[in-house]
Amino acid sequence: MSTTIATHHPLTAPALPARNRTGSGVSARGVLRSEWIKLRSVRSSTTTLVAAAALMVFVGLVFSASLGGLLSGDQGAGGPVVTDSTGAALSGMMIAQLVIGDLGVLVITSEYSTGMIRTTLTAVPRRLSVLWAKAAVVTVSTFPVMLVASIGAFLGGQVLIGMGDLPTASIGDAGVLRAVVGTAAYLTGIALMGLAIGTLLRSTAAAISTLVGVVFLLPGLGMLLLPSSVQDDVLQLLPSNAGASFTNISADPVLLESPTGAIVFALWVFVPLALAAVSLKRRGV
Amino acid sequence: MIDLQNLTKVYGDKTVVDDLTFTVEPGVVTGFLGPNGAGKSTTMRMLVGLETADGGVATVNGRRYVEHRAPMREVGVLLEAKAVHPGRSARNHLLALAATHRLASSRVDEVLELVGLSDVAHDRAGSFSLGMGQRLGIATALLGDPETVMLDEPVNGLDPEGIRWIRDLLRSLAAEGRTVFVSSHLMTEMAMTATQLVIVGRGRLVAHMSVDDLVSRSASSVRVRSPQIGRLRDLLTGDGVTVTTGHDQALDVVGLSADVIGARAAAASVVLHELSPQRASLEEAFMELTRESVEFHGHGSTDPTDRTRTSDRKAA
Repeated sequence: MSTTIATHHPLTAPALPARNRTGSGVSARGVLRSEWIKLRSVRSSTTTLVAAAALMVFVGLVFSASLGGLLSGDQGAGGPVVTDSTGAALSGMMIAQLVIGDLGVLVITSEYSTGMIRTTLTAVPRRLSVLWAKAAVVTVSTFPVMLVASIGAFLGGQVLIGMGDLPTASIGDAGVLRAVVGTAAYLTGIALMGLAIGTLLRSTAAAISTLVGVVFLLPGLGMLLLPSSVQDDVLQLLPSNAGASFTNISADPVLLESPTGAIVFALWVFVPLALAAVSLKRRGV
Repeated sequence: MIDLQNLTKVYGDKTVVDDLTFTVEPGVVTGFLGPNGAGKSTTMRMLVGLETADGGVATVNGRRYVEHRAPMREVGVLLEAKAVHPGRSARNHLLALAATHRLASSRVDEVLELVGLSDVAHDRAGSFSLGMGQRLGIATALLGDPETVMLDEPVNGLDPEGIRWIRDLLRSLAAEGRTVFVSSHLMTEMAMTATQLVIVGRGRLVAHMSVDDLVSRSASSVRVRSPQIGRLRDLLTGDGVTVTTGHDQALDVVGLSADVIGARAAAASVVLHELSPQRASLEEAFMELTRESVEFHGHGSTDPTDRTRTSDRKAA
């Protein structure tokens, strides 16, 4: 159905008042700044980041203290036999990843749950720049904070372990620097995975459950369900185990070599991000 | 200017927007009217690229929305009142949006002032009332000082003062030569604001006309009551005049003005108990136009226009 359309002559239209035309169009830098403002203007981002860092340090210190015999008086009592003082000090990563993953998830799902996403994508109709900008601000906020937390946990942990007269590591020892930096990189990767999953699923609850499932439950499920002939080959490819290959200092036969593990882990980050990009571009909001 | 050519959107087996073609001109307020579920919001979402059309093209100021280098300077949009993160302050919300187009922060303060939110600029948007949220949405729409303004149901949930404020704002934006396109499901509201009307029902274009045309289209009659009803009827019947007997023995006369009826009755010494011009309300005219395309009929009333009719009469 149609209706008569009056021919429109721009010249006969009432003149627009002189308007401020000095600004420019949408630019990648502008979108980046926008996402940065969004991230730091919501209290939950800061809380999440601080909580992840605090857990990283706290758990590492508690574990180190108990290893050093400071908590029970009996060295390593009841706990797993840990000969790896670096791993003990960095053990907070297991818990911190849950929290930092939420940061990545919430950066996008909070926009879907509040309707903000429509405002965002109306301002920036070329949607992919929004996703890349979010990935960038998640990275630049997560990595430095997690690196500081990781270094803090390591150094503090060595002091506590040393108090129990156990062998301690120093940052110059083989593999230690890689493990410390690798931990921060792993946590950043988990946050980005959260962002990707959040973009794909659009719901906070669904995205967090999925992230927890992939990182925490898949290894256990694999051990339970996979035939032992392929178990090792498959399990080493999971994000948690691929991450362990470069956050542990000692080579473990069931894990991949560190460089290979790093590549596999990177795929766990970038493939979901690529899928998220396709989904964001195609689906209506 | 907004231009739609055969715009179509299908969800599953349901055609939500069906081959819509119309143009919204600058300089006037154009109302986008239709019952709930008529496809107004979907049409607006397609206009700004939030949904992709399954057919046809929609352009704003000569280009598809996504092709604009600075979309916020072309089109200001309000799609829903609270498309805002509740934990972010109004000012930070606007600053984040301004950053995408590298608009100065002074512009943010300007629009906050314009919509009257300066005092609460640093409060979390989650603490805002519906009306304040609506104002923040309008501030967002005006941030880029756009040539075209498109608002989906902007008066929803506003108090009378807020409604008048929006009405004045829309008119002044149009007077500045901008294209103003506003949706509503309330005819009476639109009649007070808009000059042009685009009326849709079930995703199809029902009418595209000026408010004045719609007014003159709505038939008007004169209601007369008299104890000498038979004589009166004879006096009034004639060429081009239809007289029908309404309820409580009143006559509804179409084709003669109240003045003429009164004069004739006086000349023939016929006593009148009532002589009142009746104007079919715009709401009725609108209902008439969209009757066939109303998506959801309410239960309890056999005629969806009944209630409106009575209340309109009362108001008149």
